[in-house]
Amino acid sequence: MTVATATPERTTRSGGRARKVREPHGFRSFEFAMMAPALLLLAVLSLIPFVMLIAMSFSRVRTLGGVRLQFTGLDNWVAVLGDASVWASWGRSLVYFGSIVALEMVLGFAFAVILHHLLRGRSIMLSVVLLPMFLAPVMVGLLGRFLLDSTIGLYAQLLQLVGIDTDLFARPGTALPTVIMIDVWQWTPLVALILLAGITSVPPSTLEAAAMDGAGFFRRLFEMVVPQMKPIILVALLVRSMDAIRYFDIITATTNGGPADATKIIPIRLYEMAFRFNNQIGRAAVLGITMLIFSIALANIFVRFFGDRETAKVDVAGGPH
Amino acid sequence: MLQRRTPLMKVLMPILAVVVALWSAVPIAWMLITSFKPQTAIRTSDVVLLFAPTAENFSNLFFGGNKVGSFLLNSVLVTVLSTVIAVALGCMAGYGMAHWRSRHKPDVSFWIISTRMAPIAAVIVPLFVMFRTAGLVNTIPGLVIAHLSFNLPFAVWLMGAFFQQVPRSIEEAALVDGCGKFRGFWSVALPVTRPGIITTAVLCMVFSWNDYAFSSALGGPQTSTLPMAAGALVTQSGIDWGLLCALGVVVALPMLVAGLAVRRHLVTGLSLGAVTGE
Repeated sequence: MTVATATPERTTRSGGRARKVREPHGFRSFEFAMMAPALLLLAVLSLIPFVMLIAMSFSRVRTLGGVRLQFTGLDNWVAVLGDASVWASWGRSLVYFGSIVALEMVLGFAFAVILHHLLRGRSIMLSVVLLPMFLAPVMVGLLGRFLLDSTIGLYAQLLQLVGIDTDLFARPGTALPTVIMIDVWQWTPLVALILLAGITSVPPSTLEAAAMDGAGFFRRLFEMVVPQMKPIILVALLVRSMDAIRYFDIITATTNGGPADATKIIPIRLYEMAFRFNNQIGRAAVLGITMLIFSIALANIFVRFFGDRETAKVDVAGGPH
Repeated sequence: MLQRRTPLMKVLMPILAVVVALWSAVPIAWMLITSFKPQTAIRTSDVVLLFAPTAENFSNLFFGGNKVGSFLLNSVLVTVLSTVIAVALGCMAGYGMAHWRSRHKPDVSFWIISTRMAPIAAVIVPLFVMFRTAGLVNTIPGLVIAHLSFNLPFAVWLMGAFFQQVPRSIEEAALVDGCGKFRGFWSVALPVTRPGIITTAVLCMVFSWNDYAFSSALGGPQTSTLPMAAGALVTQSGIDWGLLCALGVVVALPMLVAGLAVRRHLVTGLSLGAVTGE
């Protein structure tokens, strides 16, 4: 496994060597023409919804008998921002996002270190570990319900052996940790996969030198390996946190927000507003905008906080430059 | 490398590796086993491992009261169409992106990736209203378009990353040989990036096949996909776990096979091209 982050040095743009013929660039080039169909479709699928989201957040939206927007000023904003239960929902969302990302990063790093130490069978082991990633999240939620079913569930039986004898989804105190653990089960392998690529990319020579100095296992791990993996850790962090905010299928399939709103994170509440109480689409739009702002802000914080600006830029605009 | 072979490490690490593998494998294996169990072996608190395997759960799934066959057809249609369109347009746009020279490039690439990362819940409400207006709710083309909203930016971005890895010298040689620019794309860059194209296609397929949020909000009775079938099985009073595990196997198996087939390129694909590995 050889690994390199997509740094500008690596993706050489023909090294500043001047072309013989000056070619058109910008919007009237062959390259842009190749991009045009996809960008056009993408504009329809992202710019129009974005503008509509803003328009709807200031309107009363009716969908029965044709869509009509009736301007109502800041009504939706006032209603949503003044709703204590929405703020409570944000609080739970932060606990949910924070816990799954933190747990997945820590466990994923541990998984990666363990797999990295395997001399034989690493490839087959990794394949087995990766399996949960390919399941439909909604199926994963249902599988969780099956395994934790208090009368017939396999894992429920195991938990009973250690004295936990309750329906984990039914009690407000245990429901949120349970859905968090189900997400951690499914997505820790992805973090492990990315971080394993990072560990493997650390030059062996650095570590050998450290070993000569007599540095212990954990010291080498955290003083030599982790700093060199910073860009890759950032990638894992970004990918997982964006997806943590993006998906909510597991909760839909298990508790659907309950019991007593214990797992009602923001996307679940938004769905409820938009599709169960049809007259609140405008308010759902407000929640949607706050979610967008939240995810963009979060991505920016990670990028600023975590690395020097160089690596940060590379990873956010990671692929094509 | 990292390892310094202390005897403790030599014993401990393989044991931990087995624990890690079991973490992932046990629930999936249990689902697979349960799907072949007769009802009597499922509805018990004993852990039954010896039983006469039966295909009754699978036959109930397809020939019982549930029309899973039509769900399967919808899933295949939506997945194949959205993947083919996303990959075709994604190859073109990704190639353009990798070679485009413009000062607007960072903005355009940020816009593309932000479309893929935006919270589904935020996107789905205006999309629903748009689809309602256009009459696309509960139609197959509607679902295909909805899935393109996440698969297209993904394909463009990832193919851009893959095309960027193609050595410039190869393409320049083709241009010098008198190839047109499109020929350079078609007969030089595309064949070289075949593993990248396959990886992109497989991941688009997985995302589309496994989608629940878009399908449940924008689909309907005529366009239900397999993950919707899972939801439908649950709302009935009491869940038939045998049926559900059988469905789980049907949903999971093709994606597990496809996903593991491109494992070498998974890191690149799932980190959106930011990490290239193995």
